[in-house]
Amino acid sequence: MDFYLLLYRLVLVAYLISTLAYMFSLLSRRVTPAKAATWIMAGACGLHALFFLGQWATRGYNPFLRLNDSLSFFALVMAGVYLAFQFRTKTRVLGVFVSPAVFLLMIVSSVGIGGPLTAPETLQGGLVSLHAMLSVIGEALFALASAAGLAYLIQDGLLKRRKASRLMKLFPPLRDLDRINHICLLWGFPLLTLGMVAGSIWARTVWGSHWQWDPKQIWTLAAWLIYAILLHQRLAIGWKGHKSALLSVVAFVVLLAAFLVEKYFFTTIHQFY
Amino acid sequence: MNLLLLGMNHKTAPVEIRERLNIACTEDFNPLGEILAIPGVEEALYLSTCNRVEILVRSREGGGAEERLRELIFRHGNLSGAELARCLYVYRDETAVRHLFRVAAGLDSLIMGEPQILGQVKDAYRQAVEREAAGIILNKLLHRAFRVAKRVRTETGVANHAVSVSYAAVELAKKIFGTLGDKKILLVGAGEMSELAARHLLKHGGDQLFVANRTWERAVGMAADFQGTAVEFPRLGEVLREADIVITSTGAPGYILTGEMVAAALKRRKNRLLFIIDIAVPRDVDPRAGDLENVYLYNMDDLQEIADENMAIRKEEAARGEEIIAAETEEFLAWFDTLAVVPTIVSLREKAEAIIAGELERAEGWLRNLRPEDREEAALLAQAIVNKLLHDPMTSLKEETREGAARAYVAALRRLFRLDGAGGEKGEA
Repeated sequence: MDFYLLLYRLVLVAYLISTLAYMFSLLSRRVTPAKAATWIMAGACGLHALFFLGQWATRGYNPFLRLNDSLSFFALVMAGVYLAFQFRTKTRVLGVFVSPAVFLLMIVSSVGIGGPLTAPETLQGGLVSLHAMLSVIGEALFALASAAGLAYLIQDGLLKRRKASRLMKLFPPLRDLDRINHICLLWGFPLLTLGMVAGSIWARTVWGSHWQWDPKQIWTLAAWLIYAILLHQRLAIGWKGHKSALLSVVAFVVLLAAFLVEKYFFTTIHQFY
Repeated sequence: MNLLLLGMNHKTAPVEIRERLNIACTEDFNPLGEILAIPGVEEALYLSTCNRVEILVRSREGGGAEERLRELIFRHGNLSGAELARCLYVYRDETAVRHLFRVAAGLDSLIMGEPQILGQVKDAYRQAVEREAAGIILNKLLHRAFRVAKRVRTETGVANHAVSVSYAAVELAKKIFGTLGDKKILLVGAGEMSELAARHLLKHGGDQLFVANRTWERAVGMAADFQGTAVEFPRLGEVLREADIVITSTGAPGYILTGEMVAAALKRRKNRLLFIIDIAVPRDVDPRAGDLENVYLYNMDDLQEIADENMAIRKEEAARGEEIIAAETEEFLAWFDTLAVVPTIVSLREKAEAIIAGELERAEGWLRNLRPEDREEAALLAQAIVNKLLHDPMTSLKEETREGAARAYVAALRRLFRLDGAGGEKGEA
């Protein structure tokens, strides 16, 4: 069997096991399975990086031009950044939101594995790659911000209920979740912005205009605006905690909708994505 | 194994009796010397805390160690026979091992899972070691007990959930703030419970303490105690901007922190999280403050309820602890079995050697008629027959050890071959 296919399957299985272990941790209200899940996820992430970089290097094509590779990259960034946070703050159970997302992304990305390039020849070039890469990293960070936001909302609800619970014990402290949310927004926003700028510069050289009223462009701009407001409120007004968590979840839902809606209901110049 | 454990604890003995017996609570008293002086007692451990007295000994087979130990307790505690019979529990071998493990893990404690008892068991063991009262068996047993206690604490949640009001407050603070390293605490009013909570919070990393009190002198005095800052009562609103954790326990009849005050402070502190603990009855803080975003308000009843619910959780976790203890007890007994098998095999072989040597000596007369080579052959023949005969039982015994069921075989072998003479005793010790 092809070495990379084997590696890919290994990564997939490892992510699955880590997802199941996280779920088990949540259901049994015990932290030990989550600890194991974290290490399995770290292993999966390492192999995943090997797979991604290896393919990039040996197959000699640009992975940012194919949907499935971009999804795989999305998953890789999410897993990697989450693990980096995990090893700094002990926010283990956050993985219960991250690992299934990563696993599902990998499943979806497997559909077109090894297939032909999805982007037309005209759209290849350094700027397009940069556009895709920065956008994917930015969106992956937003995904993490929303996962942390969701966990925050749950823990906030538990603390407001004023009851003893094993779930509260299991979930990370509010402040750690808020910091992850904060840092992800702080990095995700400029990266996505740069990605969009790169895309728009490229659009001008191809279509003669920065803006095409493309559904994906509109949705993404809407989500970008929400994030801009969120970040502004957070930094200037001090929207900490609950509000920020809630809004980052909402903003991500919009971003996700942008992806799905334009994919299934519109024709778009981003259709290969 | 001849382990014998006598003791009484908070469940079996009323406090008057425990008090009389455990002078150790107040004095440095340890009757290890007396216990070791009892004939037959080879190893001993004496554990005494304010909630229990336990004497663990390993004695030689037979002998009236138990009676003598009862007498000792009887004498020390100045107890009547009836009292003694009612309060004292006696465990042997397997049950003694299990009891020791449960005690060390805190499962037998008044407050389920409390950690101090492990330190007390360690102290008792250290004293036993210093007085050379602990030998092979007790060394192994106690080290195993320490390991079991650690396992129970880490693998179950038996010690994890705060069961006192002040610790419940610390746990909640950690769930809100993560670490308390840079957190400022505001203590409003005085009171044992609130000061205890403040002390716990400071111990867990709290950064700075403000003290406010209606009487300025009192505030200054308490601030000095805690190395904090005294605050005038009217400036409460201002300090609310700085503080992250507020503990209130004044005797005021109305609310001293209104919803408006907290809302205003929240705005000025840019919505940084605020944890308010209202220990006062009647309450000091308007409950509406708890509805504000990023404010977590707990009153005395909330905390007490959490502590109670945590106690219930600990009891559930204790069931898992018992499973660990059962498995560890089993394992310890298995280790003990291997200890018994090796000396048994040694004494069996020694007995065989002795028989061969004896028989060869008796045959000295006619053996002398043989050529030297034949004489040697005859000796080798005797040796070979005995070896062949013993080979199977010894192999079986070793195999049974691996399967953990050797005790019965060892006992049977010892009786069949009458090994429990002086030689057998020596082997086991």
